[in-house]
Amino acid sequence: MSYILTEEQQLIGQSAKEFAKEVLEPTAVELDRSGLFPKAAIKGLAGYDFLGLLLPAQVGGVGAGFVSYVTVIETLARFCPAVTSIVNNHVLAAHAIQQWGNEAQKQQYLPALAKGDVLGAVAACECGPAGITDTGVLTAVQQGNTYVLNGSRRFVKNAGEAGLYVCFAITDATAKPKASTAFIVDARTPGLIVGSKQDTMGLRGCPVADLTFNSVTVPGTAVLGVPNKGAAMIAEILAVAAVAEAAQTVGIVQTAVEHAAAYAKQRVQFGRPIGSFQAIQALLANVAANCHATRLAVFDAAAAIELGQSFLAEAAMVKLLALHLGQDSLIDVVQVEGGYGYSEEMTLARLFRDIAGTNLLDAPADFPEQIIAASLA
Amino acid sequence: MQLHGDQLRLQALAREFTATHIIPYAMEYDRKGEFPLFVVEEAKKAGLICMAVPKKFGGAEYDSVTQSLVVEEWAYGCAGFATTLSGNGLSSYPLLIAGTDEQKKLYFTPIVAGGLGAFSLTEPGAGSDAGSCKATAKRVGDEYVLNGVKCFCTTGSYAKVYVIFASTDLSMGVKGLSAFVVERERAGLSIGSVEHKLGIRSSNTIELILRDVRIPADRLLGKEGDGMKIAMKTLDMARPMVASIGVGVARRALDECVKYLCTGKPGQMVQFTLADMEIQIEAARALVRHALSLKDAGLPYSKEAAVAKTFATDTAMHVCAAAQHLLGSNAFSSESVVQKLLRDAKVLQIYEGTNQVQRMVIAGQVLREEALKQAAAAAGR
Repeated sequence: MSYILTEEQQLIGQSAKEFAKEVLEPTAVELDRSGLFPKAAIKGLAGYDFLGLLLPAQVGGVGAGFVSYVTVIETLARFCPAVTSIVNNHVLAAHAIQQWGNEAQKQQYLPALAKGDVLGAVAACECGPAGITDTGVLTAVQQGNTYVLNGSRRFVKNAGEAGLYVCFAITDATAKPKASTAFIVDARTPGLIVGSKQDTMGLRGCPVADLTFNSVTVPGTAVLGVPNKGAAMIAEILAVAAVAEAAQTVGIVQTAVEHAAAYAKQRVQFGRPIGSFQAIQALLANVAANCHATRLAVFDAAAAIELGQSFLAEAAMVKLLALHLGQDSLIDVVQVEGGYGYSEEMTLARLFRDIAGTNLLDAPADFPEQIIAASLA
Repeated sequence: MQLHGDQLRLQALAREFTATHIIPYAMEYDRKGEFPLFVVEEAKKAGLICMAVPKKFGGAEYDSVTQSLVVEEWAYGCAGFATTLSGNGLSSYPLLIAGTDEQKKLYFTPIVAGGLGAFSLTEPGAGSDAGSCKATAKRVGDEYVLNGVKCFCTTGSYAKVYVIFASTDLSMGVKGLSAFVVERERAGLSIGSVEHKLGIRSSNTIELILRDVRIPADRLLGKEGDGMKIAMKTLDMARPMVASIGVGVARRALDECVKYLCTGKPGQMVQFTLADMEIQIEAARALVRHALSLKDAGLPYSKEAAVAKTFATDTAMHVCAAAQHLLGSNAFSSESVVQKLLRDAKVLQIYEGTNQVQRMVIAGQVLREEALKQAAAAAGR
């Protein structure tokens, strides 16, 4: 990838690798086992300025672009996908405020988010494309200078640890489709209840919980962006998330395929390393080629985001590629290691569980195919 | 293929057994990684624990198609439970293939009484290449002395009897491999590490350690050097049963989707995904029944067994992945059955020969059939 990465982007990637090898890799297995929020790792990330990577220098950020960001995300994911998911959702919240916030909101929230003093979360989860109705409905009613939020959001990443939530609530149910508005909600607001932490299949250590809003009253200044224009914001936020999560998928798959390749090199069956068999070579080659193609698509979409070009269709394509790449690759590479790959003592079993969450959480209500097809006509 | 009355009755019995004794417990035992001894007891009461054992030795002696119906139902409830419960089939096959009446009596008596048997072929250095086993069986007087380490032995901690493969002559390679019946209480046989697995967590998978295990010479199945042949025939018999587990797992995944989606208005992409799942499940089940009806008719079925195993377990894997995608975040929660199905399905592509090994078997046979055809044509010219 170096041929499109600038020196600065490469340096950021390099420091991400150093950090991840030193801090994330040694704790990844224990984090998966305990599922406890990785405070030290997040503090370390803040120390390296990764939490404010995309934010401008005026608010204490690095001012790096989205290409640098996906480089960092891929690198972190190579060593610890759970921590990467925390970072992704935090950065998503900061990105939303940077993108749509007014000056006062930026001054109020971004410095703390950039330094990692406050963890951010986006509660946009629509829980997948199959039209399941129990995804939780959140409404907001204007009362004078305030809004009163009622309802719930399910499967919110960083829930319980976040100091603020960017969430979307329906503010006009009579409009077709229903109109929603984005709010910045302080986690300490009375009536905002974080449900018990979900036990999840993978990405353990990344907190996931439901949020319940019992007459949560927020000032009018909590509105992010334009009232009733939330739908376009959700679409954009989920598209940004899709690109970042695809980078996470690429990182996981790259680690997995390298792990399997190393195993194939030393595992001898039928008198030779299994890596010398064409079937194993073909399996590894296909995974590596798909991974490479998806990485290029991630960089392409990331560049579009960075340059302020339209990127919704590109992001949907990246999402589609990552969906295929992720689970299918892990299914395949475990085969290389056979019974050992199925053991939780080995790395692949954990990555097999992590990859599912990488693609499932933040799944939009639309299939990426729908967004892509719409962009073609 | 039409099922007959007895088969339908047994299928209904197995379905009820699964609803009563498996589904309510599967998630809990998966979470704890605990072996479901209680279900073995229930299977004994229901007459399902010794399906493969001949009537002559007190077993049920169901035909293979009938056995596969039961296995599919068990797997619908839990692939881990199904692995445990069908383990008695797997470990009985070597006896059916090569056992004398005395050996069968020795082996089947504890099984008919509700005990468990275990099949132990794999070693740390002998997985796909089963012929490279390093465990040895040395003839000393009228005994064999077994030494070595076996691994990935299913139900090993709980088995009363084992079929263990060891080499009687390492210099002969594959042709030195032999199979033995070994009772649990033999001195020197011990359980090593217990595997902590991605899925089928209620199933017991262990390392089996053999340290000067002395057994009477009449525990040898067949002749010295018959081990590989017995192992391969055993795997032929076992593979359609693994395929049935795949069909059961895939059917459950589809049902879990449909349960959620039938009341809404699923769009066409969802509908087509569901249709693709159903197409694959139906095809997989047909392949299983085809292979097993050949077997029950006494016809060659080795290739068909490998085809069924590969297709059905690949199907299980991909149907579960598609199901999880459809159900989204909901299916990422540990409380979701679908995430368990996904973890469980993965082992089906691995055990009883990885699906790569199946493809070696299938390609070998396809090429051999054609070579024979061409040779016959050349001879006839």
